[in-house]
Amino acid sequence: MREFRDYIRYALKYLSLAEEKNQKQEDAEWLLIPAIILAWSAMELFVNNRCADLNSLPSDMFESHERAFLQEKHLRFEDSGDNIGKFVLKGNEYQALENKIFFLLSKMGSQNTTSLKDGTLWQRFKSFKEIRDSLAHPRRDKDIILHPQNVREHIETAKELIQEISERIWNTKLDF
Amino acid sequence: MNILFDDRAQKNDKVEGQVTTFLNQVTTLEAKHNMLVIIFQDGASGAYYIKSSLLASDAAKLCDLDAKLDVSSSESYRANRQLFLKHMTYQRMVADALKGREFNDIIVEYNVEYTQENPLKVWGGQHRIKAISEAYTKSDRYHGFRIYFNLNKDQRTEIALVSNTNISVSNDTFDRMIEETIFGGALRKWCQKVELLGEKEDFPDVGSRSEKITVKKARSFVVNFYLGKRRGQELNSDKLDRNVYEPYLVDTGVKTGTDREIIADPTYEEIMNQYDILSDEALLKAGQRFLALHNEQYRAVLDTKTSIKNAKSYRNKAFVESVLCGWSYVAGLLQFHPERLENHYRIPKTSSKIPDPLNAEEMSKYKHDKDGPTYRGLGTRSALSDRQRIAQLFLAKSLEENVAIDQKFMDKAVSQVIGLLSLSQGYA
Repeated sequence: MREFRDYIRYALKYLSLAEEKNQKQEDAEWLLIPAIILAWSAMELFVNNRCADLNSLPSDMFESHERAFLQEKHLRFEDSGDNIGKFVLKGNEYQALENKIFFLLSKMGSQNTTSLKDGTLWQRFKSFKEIRDSLAHPRRDKDIILHPQNVREHIETAKELIQEISERIWNTKLDF
Repeated sequence: MNILFDDRAQKNDKVEGQVTTFLNQVTTLEAKHNMLVIIFQDGASGAYYIKSSLLASDAAKLCDLDAKLDVSSSESYRANRQLFLKHMTYQRMVADALKGREFNDIIVEYNVEYTQENPLKVWGGQHRIKAISEAYTKSDRYHGFRIYFNLNKDQRTEIALVSNTNISVSNDTFDRMIEETIFGGALRKWCQKVELLGEKEDFPDVGSRSEKITVKKARSFVVNFYLGKRRGQELNSDKLDRNVYEPYLVDTGVKTGTDREIIADPTYEEIMNQYDILSDEALLKAGQRFLALHNEQYRAVLDTKTSIKNAKSYRNKAFVESVLCGWSYVAGLLQFHPERLENHYRIPKTSSKIPDPLNAEEMSKYKHDKDGPTYRGLGTRSALSDRQRIAQLFLAKSLEENVAIDQKFMDKAVSQVIGLLSLSQGYA
């Protein structure tokens, strides 16, 4: 079972290869793009797993809308059929990573959630997100140029954000 | 013969009588030279003793290596650790004894309440006595003894413990001595009744070298059953799965009490004082079902038709402290929830992919995000976090009749523990 640490490790491997290529003045972009995607996936995996921790609990420990959020389902009011008059979870409704982070922190975190949003780490996360989005959803008018140094910073941001979440919800410093 | 009490020893007629009887029975070096014999009294335990030199030929005949802690009970077993006659250190002792080595400070107790022909019960130096016995026909020398008289059970246990502190005696042997001193043979009898031990079998000297249940594990099983039962009594069935449970690991070794010299783990003492474990049918059944799980796990790992590695840790997975404590706690917890209890008692489903009920190999690979790179897997340690996770695993298993402990199932159980702790305490 792959864990978030593996994704970080793979991202760093790609980055290391990219740095070698860069030194030889060879094309390295094809290595930097997966490094970015993998680092983002590490954060996604960590956050999704924390949602899964909550999702494994008895369902009546959460409000319907919270369950819908955790399961990334749409909460719909039924006006016909067997469930008429009830709210049911139907169809997918994906949540942005940042929403899931704030949900987890407000549900389990030991500190004020807004303090994260006001800090520099969150600013770095947003820059990272912009890069990742433009790579995952490419457009001709939003071309970006990647440098190994920037990619290293984004991987560091992923690690730091995972660490921040862990410390806030578990009071535990993780080993990578 | 001149016998005198040391200035720091309180005069005691019974002790003096026993010393006189002993000295009339054996010709010690002191008697041979008509020397003064002084009776000392140990300040810590109050035990009386003399220092004396005995010929190897006399010692070989008088010493008893099967010393018992409880002399009044016919069910008391030999207390000392086993002899390691192939050990290099012992071989060297025999060689030295043959060359005429004179040993000193051998600790014995004069006691004629059992095996009267061998009144010197050996508490410290059993390997030296054995070596002397092998060598005396070739080299009959005087050896130094400390001979205790008129000991009570606590003093005897303390002497046995103190005499063994400078050699590598395991905590399991200590536990066995303490168990017998404080509680008699109840725990051993219970294990024999369950068949965790054979009919006349005792707990092992060193648990890590044995594949049998140790005193510590048997105590932990009993304690967790009752702690779980108490907790289960407070909970309705809809509340059972909303808690993180904390199976207890009984402390090993010896403690010094303020009012008593020797105390065992206080939770265990409290449980043993409150319950009669030998007449509790529910506890007996729990023990038997646990043994059935262990036997099935053991058999599956030994089975050459299965692909699982025949490792001791896999064979004895049920005996891993976290597994044993978690299983027993859940057995107690579900005493008031009979349907779930029966599910708990069912041996987990196996298949070609999961050949052993506890899925030991997969468990050892399991890891949650919270666990660091050095984590050794689920149900491999005794730590509280591992005990909590295992309890949750068995509790989740009890929700259904036929459950296979696969990786997905483990993940769900561990996630529940982490999720519950995060929600309830702020931190997992």
